[in-house]
Amino acid sequence: MVPLENYLVLSAIIFSLGVYGVLARRNAVLILMSVELMLNAVSLNFIAFAAYLDPDKITGAIFAVFVITVAAAEVGLALAIVIRLFRNRATSNVDEAAIMKW
Amino acid sequence: MTFDEGQGYVVLATMAIPLVAAFLLVLTPGSQKMAVRYISVVTGALVCALSIYIFAAYQVDGAEVQMKLRWVWIENTAFLGENGITLYFAVDGISATMALLTGVVAFAGALASWKLDYRNKDFYILYWTLLAGVFGTFFSYDLFFFFFFYELAVMPLYLLIGVWGSTRKEYGAAKLMLMLVGGSVLIWIGIFATFHEANLGTFDLQQLWAAGNDGTLSPTFQKTFFPLMVIGCGVLAALWPFHTWSPDGHMAAPTAVSMVHAGVLMKLGAFGIIRLGIQLMPIGAEFWMPGLMVLGVIGAVYGAIAALTQRDFKLISGYSSVSHMGYVLMGLATMNEIGITGAVLQMFSHGVMTALVFLMIGALYDQAHTRDIKDFGGIAKVMPLWVIFYAIAGLANVGLPGLSGFTAEFHIFVGTFRTYPVFGAMAIFAAALAAAYMLRMFGQVFFGPFNPRWSDLKDLTPLERLSGGILIAAIVVMGVWWAPFTDRISATVTHLPGVTG
Amino acid sequence: MGAEQAWLLAAVPAGFFLVLALFGRQLPRGGDYLGVLSIVSAFVLFIVVLVDFLDTPGKLGPVVNSMEWSNVGEFKLRMGTFIDPITITMFGVITIVSVMVNVFSVGYMKGEPRYFWFFAVLQLFVASMLLLVMADNLLLVYIAWELVGVCSFLLIGFYWEKRSATEAAKKAFITTRLGDVGLLIGIILFWRATGTFNIQEIIHAAEQGQIGDTYLFVSIMFVFLGCMGKSAQVPFHVWLPDAMEGPTPVSALIHAATMVVAGVYLTARLLPIFEVADGALLVVTLVGLTTALLTGFMALAQTDIKKVLAYSTVGQLGFMFVALGTGHPAIAIFHLTTHAFFKALLFLGSGSVIHATHHNQEMDKLGGLWRKMPITGTTFFIGSLALAGLPPLAGFWSKDEIFVALNDKWGAWAVLILGFAAVMTAFYTTRLFIRTFMGKPMDEQVHEHTHESGFVMTGPLMFLALLAAVSGLVVFHQVGKGLGFPGGITEFIFLPGEHPHRYHIDWGFAAASLAMATVGIWGAAWMYWGNSLKRSTALAEWNPGVYRMLKSKFYFDELYQAVIDRGVLGFSYLVSWFDRYVVNDTGVDGSAQVTGFTGGVLKYLQTGRVPNYAMAIALGVIGLTVAGLVVRG
Repeated sequence: MVPLENYLVLSAIIFSLGVYGVLARRNAVLILMSVELMLNAVSLNFIAFAAYLDPDKITGAIFAVFVITVAAAEVGLALAIVIRLFRNRATSNVDEAAIMKW
Repeated sequence: MTFDEGQGYVVLATMAIPLVAAFLLVLTPGSQKMAVRYISVVTGALVCALSIYIFAAYQVDGAEVQMKLRWVWIENTAFLGENGITLYFAVDGISATMALLTGVVAFAGALASWKLDYRNKDFYILYWTLLAGVFGTFFSYDLFFFFFFYELAVMPLYLLIGVWGSTRKEYGAAKLMLMLVGGSVLIWIGIFATFHEANLGTFDLQQLWAAGNDGTLSPTFQKTFFPLMVIGCGVLAALWPFHTWSPDGHMAAPTAVSMVHAGVLMKLGAFGIIRLGIQLMPIGAEFWMPGLMVLGVIGAVYGAIAALTQRDFKLISGYSSVSHMGYVLMGLATMNEIGITGAVLQMFSHGVMTALVFLMIGALYDQAHTRDIKDFGGIAKVMPLWVIFYAIAGLANVGLPGLSGFTAEFHIFVGTFRTYPVFGAMAIFAAALAAAYMLRMFGQVFFGPFNPRWSDLKDLTPLERLSGGILIAAIVVMGVWWAPFTDRISATVTHLPGVTG
Repeated sequence: MGAEQAWLLAAVPAGFFLVLALFGRQLPRGGDYLGVLSIVSAFVLFIVVLVDFLDTPGKLGPVVNSMEWSNVGEFKLRMGTFIDPITITMFGVITIVSVMVNVFSVGYMKGEPRYFWFFAVLQLFVASMLLLVMADNLLLVYIAWELVGVCSFLLIGFYWEKRSATEAAKKAFITTRLGDVGLLIGIILFWRATGTFNIQEIIHAAEQGQIGDTYLFVSIMFVFLGCMGKSAQVPFHVWLPDAMEGPTPVSALIHAATMVVAGVYLTARLLPIFEVADGALLVVTLVGLTTALLTGFMALAQTDIKKVLAYSTVGQLGFMFVALGTGHPAIAIFHLTTHAFFKALLFLGSGSVIHATHHNQEMDKLGGLWRKMPITGTTFFIGSLALAGLPPLAGFWSKDEIFVALNDKWGAWAVLILGFAAVMTAFYTTRLFIRTFMGKPMDEQVHEHTHESGFVMTGPLMFLALLAAVSGLVVFHQVGKGLGFPGGITEFIFLPGEHPHRYHIDWGFAAASLAMATVGIWGAAWMYWGNSLKRSTALAEWNPGVYRMLKSKFYFDELYQAVIDRGVLGFSYLVSWFDRYVVNDTGVDGSAQVTGFTGGVLKYLQTGRVPNYAMAIALGVIGLTVAGLVVRG
């Protein structure tokens, strides 16, 4: 059986990639994809922990399904916003969308 | 249903009818201005009649707290024990008097707003919501609902002044609102602290009062939180130096709002000091009352002196309100029966006479569109009735015997002299200053050579006469035959903790 | 119906006031007949009370009747009436003068605007004044005291179109109100010491020594401040001459015969306390002497007939206080009575002149009116001599009594001062009479159109002239007996515990008194005979400084004006400024500005850039994790 550490390391790598993407990217779609990476890393953690700690129950899987649902809803909303932004500003660069200040 | 319970429903109805009226008005189309007016005036008449009934039905020889009605809202859940939060209405001598005041002023104000045309539906919705809040505060024997209704009474003011007001209305409304809400925050903190400290799991005021009395609320706690409660309520009672919303707020407010605000709302503050200060924290009260006395005297003298040189009618009345509410605070601070009775008398008296003053100012301002007293002269020639009404209000303000102001001030002076003769003498001197600023205004506006610019002014309309007549009746009755008032008030004041004979 | 129901005396005019005030405008003739009816009913009621009082078997003991008014715990208020000889005398003075003034006003006020209002307020005044003298407790006295003050305010300001009338009304109300501050403080101080407002109980407590000496003195002095304000004693005297802006019948009733004597009445009522309080009587005497002397000087240089009479009234009130200072209320009340009659006569007479000359009251335009107005002239002559103090007219007897008592109590120095004031009284009264009624007219045009007033005005003059001539005789035992009283006025009014003393003429003082009057009259006659101003002008030019000082009434008004303008109003501006700029703009708006400023600075943290927010979140998570690890150790 693959040790738990391997899953956790994989999860951490994916999560860090996601964080890097969110912080470094300027394109809204890419940022959203990075967020998805982070969410998936978390889901991976849930499932791995569930399988190792309490194999009889599927609590972790349920949470993973929740996360997927929320992520889907979030992406739906966020993409709608991005499309509006692109329609109005002809850009998907988030730096140029800095009007919600002061 | 027992008799007392039946009367409890009367009390409930007095609070509920304004709410029902507000709801009915929501359903009325805004274009039906006459229907709106009729609904409001009928509501006013009903409320006035009910409040007179409550005042008359209060048994002086009976139990202190009468006409009880308790509806449990939440109990035995989470941190709440039995009777956790209940809609608990009841009447004692003080709230019976205050209810009468509110009923009279509400009716007079509804009549005075008859001629209001701009969005009168919205105006009356807010107006009656405010009054439901006022009645609810006076009747509540549950701390939670006390605060709920207190806020319900304060909140509509912002819109009423901001939308229908005049001179610098946004500034006046915002300042008034922010200061009052600031006071509410202090009260809110005090309420939670009290709930936590008493640890009874209930907001029932009578149980909390008992806790304050028997030391469950520790002396240290009371001494710490009494100033919070008193300043929080005191802002609304124009406690010096938290009074500056009064001149600006009154200057900005429309007629009926000034009437209700100066007439009734300011009394909520003083009422709060009795309920949440004297009754809830008697030990704290004993400790802090000399301080309140000093602030009261400063307010009384300071308001009178500042009023001497004002030129705007409403500023004169605003500062004179500061002065008269100073008397109320002095009366409360005496902590003896005569003084506190005098304070409640003064709350009533100041309520009706200030309402009359603002009614008269409104009647003139609506036509003249200026409130600078230097613009006027010899108005008695064109508006004789207006002058007589205003003069009666002004003389009551000055403390002329036979009118309500004297009755109230006299009791306050006597009460004050018992413990603080020097402050009493200063207060009497301030009453003489009241004569100076009132007569200065009379001489400038009513009398002297007639300014022909005002020859088009019309005297009071029949509705304004009715409105003023009701208020004058209250002023004269209390000035001549004050026993019904003192009987009721002192029946309750006797039971206040820490009050000497 | 008897003396117990004396409250009806006040209730009846009060009822007529309501009727007149509410419906007077609609009534024919403004309801003036209701006014007269009201006062006459009060007078009839007075007669009933008087008869009942004299018949009381209790040998003229006071008749008391009171009822519970309100209770605040132990603080119980009772309201009631207290009828004793002083009250009875005051009733008589008030009702008689009121009847005369009301009848006179029907003629004098004819055609004035707000005719009904005049009569309405007059009724309210009479009701309040009667209430004042019958009250059994100081609270009720204070209530009535303020009510007569407000009536005075309304009537002085009756011609409110004139700025000067409004100002005078305001001045009168506020000046007396300042005294009333003292009165109310005094009343409450007495309550504080005794727990009651009842006058008799307070007197009893004071006599029993239940009140500390200093406390008693301070309290009674506060009460006396109120009396000084109401009775226009120096330094509160400034309002009374200005009050002459009111219609002349009002000056006769309120500012000569009745309201201004309220202070004298209250001092007389509380005289036992003044006697107990060490030094209080001396204060009363000194105030009276100062007033009598100063106003005597002030009256010398006035040219307005009503102003002369006003200063004379203040001076005579000073005489009454001197009388009170000797500890004899009877003498003060006696002088009050005679003064009420002859001064009301003089005022109504001047009213008749003013009416006849179409509102001319400057002596510089009058003169030689006796021929034109024989009845007014003759009655005015009687009144003047009574004021000057010639026997056997009323003023002589009461002044003579004052001198005798003053000599007994304080000695010759006081008599000399008061004697000088009496000489001046005779002087300015004669001057007034000569310059108005004798010699050649100063202004032919005014003179030409003058005519005698109608009977409705001369009738009251004649009746009052009769009283001014003979009312002084009630000092004699036989006269009093003949009228049904137990004897002369000093046998009727006396302090409890004192013995009534029977009047005997002191020939020495009578002669001195006569001499003073004669000197004054002669002096004035010599100076002004034939209405010539040659000698007086020469005198004024000889020492213009003194003349200017007299003419400007010792600069009291200027001094007060400066204090009010610079002091009171200046302070008010200062407070307003403080309120606006320190409390409001700095304190209240300042805190708002601090909040706004803080927000203005902090808002730049909101960059609007998503990467900044993302970085903040990331750093926050890392920071929290590190902090958690550190805390856990």
